[in-house]
Amino acid sequence: MVVGLAWRNIWRQPHRTALSLISIALACTITIFLLALQLGAYGTMKESVLRMLDGFAQVQPQGYADDPDLRKSIVDPQAVMKQLDHLPAVSASAPRASTYVILSNGPRSYGAAIFGVDPVREPHVSTLGTTITHGRYLKVGDSDAVVVGEGLARNLKLSVGGNLTMLGAVRDGSVAADVLKVVGIFATGSSEVDRQVIEIPLARFQNTFALGKRVNTIALVGHHLSDIQSALPQLHRIAQNNGLVLREWTKLQPALHDVILLDGSFSVMLYVSLIIIVVFIILNTLLMSVLERTREFGMLMAIGMRPSQIGRMIWLELLFLAGTGAAIGIAIGAALTYWTAQKGLAFSGAEALFQQWHMPSTLYPQLDATSALAGPLAIVLCIAIAGIVPYLRARRLEPVSAMRAT
Amino acid sequence: MRHPLTIIALVAACAMPTQAFAADADALLRAAFDNWRAKSSQTEIAMIVHRPDWQRSMQMKAWTQGDDEALVRFVAPAKDAGNATLKKSDGTWVFNPKLNQVIKLPASMLAQSWMGSDFSYNDLSKSNEVLTDYTHKIIGETKKDGHTVYTIEAIPKPGAPVVWGKLEIVVRDDGVMLGETYFDQDMKTVRAMTTDKVSKIGGREYPVIMTMTLANEPGKWTRIETKSGTFNTDMPGYLFTLSNLQNPRN
Repeated sequence: MVVGLAWRNIWRQPHRTALSLISIALACTITIFLLALQLGAYGTMKESVLRMLDGFAQVQPQGYADDPDLRKSIVDPQAVMKQLDHLPAVSASAPRASTYVILSNGPRSYGAAIFGVDPVREPHVSTLGTTITHGRYLKVGDSDAVVVGEGLARNLKLSVGGNLTMLGAVRDGSVAADVLKVVGIFATGSSEVDRQVIEIPLARFQNTFALGKRVNTIALVGHHLSDIQSALPQLHRIAQNNGLVLREWTKLQPALHDVILLDGSFSVMLYVSLIIIVVFIILNTLLMSVLERTREFGMLMAIGMRPSQIGRMIWLELLFLAGTGAAIGIAIGAALTYWTAQKGLAFSGAEALFQQWHMPSTLYPQLDATSALAGPLAIVLCIAIAGIVPYLRARRLEPVSAMRAT
Repeated sequence: MRHPLTIIALVAACAMPTQAFAADADALLRAAFDNWRAKSSQTEIAMIVHRPDWQRSMQMKAWTQGDDEALVRFVAPAKDAGNATLKKSDGTWVFNPKLNQVIKLPASMLAQSWMGSDFSYNDLSKSNEVLTDYTHKIIGETKKDGHTVYTIEAIPKPGAPVVWGKLEIVVRDDGVMLGETYFDQDMKTVRAMTTDKVSKIGGREYPVIMTMTLANEPGKWTRIETKSGTFNTDMPGYLFTLSNLQNPRN
């Protein structure tokens, strides 16, 4: 009976109820869309940064992250990669060897990180090869070829076809020296990578640095970062079984992780204020309707309704309002987000800003249970909690004085 | 009114003991470096780089002149022979026989390990910075084998471009270096060099075996043993040049 009463009560003032519903629905729509857009942007950001070089995760020897020593190596990378590739979440894996060397061209010399990469596997993991601006990427059959970052090429005054002298240390500390031919210059957009990274064929690297068949890390990617994240337990197990460790993306790019956490916490503050405002608007409306119905409540009590029932009725009104509004909001918000996700949201003119994180300037909102439900649920919950105020107020009513209230 | 000179004399008298002490520390360090490198030196050195799972040894010839110039040329084993490092006041260069090329080391690489040892290129090129960039104080004094052994604390001068927070150098009264401990900015020991054997070389008492150990990495050390040496001889002018680095005449 109380339920029926509550439902009918909210439709006694159709205009007011409609306005309340609209404000709840609008707040839900906005939180759904913004949250989805934000998650989508984070996803794109993470994937594009990680795809560039690091991969979504890496298998490394114990202690390699703290002290990337050439000697800390994976003895049988083929076997490990076979196990990794076997997982459905892993779409590609690539072996890498790396160390630091002195690069020199004539009188100029700079320090840089040198990567030995597999020309077949590497392009499936890293997008670095797609950012070649001059020449080409490494290919099968290359021997003394090297691709150099744009910044490093500028510093060393190198161009495609030029010779690059490399001086480093072999596993046992003796001198490793090599002369390489520049076949391509890449520009990833990350000045750090473009100034400090060069890549040569893995076989040449293993030969020059006396590594045999060993490599230092195995980088892996999935179709989406979330695939790898949900396969982490299996990945950890594979790494462990081979006496290696798995480094998750948050460890590979801690700065990016922190930036996202910071940005996320600012957005949470925004969402919280939005929710607070909406909750107060609704609460205000309902308190008004409680006040103007005081005499009516007095009458109801006079004919035998208990104050707790009245309180429950008011609370139910509030819940109906919030529930209906949220349902409408979820429907509209999800539809809008889905539609945008299909089309993509282009931010024309912001390419430079996006370039900083190696992102395309078209974003795709990410519609999932989190983005669709987090905002509306928070709103409904807050309204339900706020409903305690009118509920307590109704319970304090005395039939006689209530009927006489003006 | 007293004569100003009296005051100056008084102040000087008060300041003298500390000054004399400080001068002592400076002089001891200077003596240690004079003993170690003299005006010029030519030495034959064996270096052992030890790691928990491997070890390798190298032979080299080294020439030094004054505080700034040094040339080291590896003679063994075969795969390292011919590699050479030249250090002058304005830079450090390496020569690699396989490349047949001289490469100037970028400043960013000077902290890297030199030939896989626990020494860095900086140790070669800045080896006398302890004299110029630090203030010195004697903090300990013991007797050993009929010699007085001093421990000198060296604190970097304000603004000096050094990486260490503090150095402690142990020097014998005749100028033989017995040890050097390197501390980081938090005054924790980073690495330590100790003299394992002192004997006569080139007519002087000399720390012939010295070992560098790393505080955080037990099982890693580098030992250098000076096999022979001559000191204070005249060095030919071409010795510390880039052309001699690439095409050795010695």
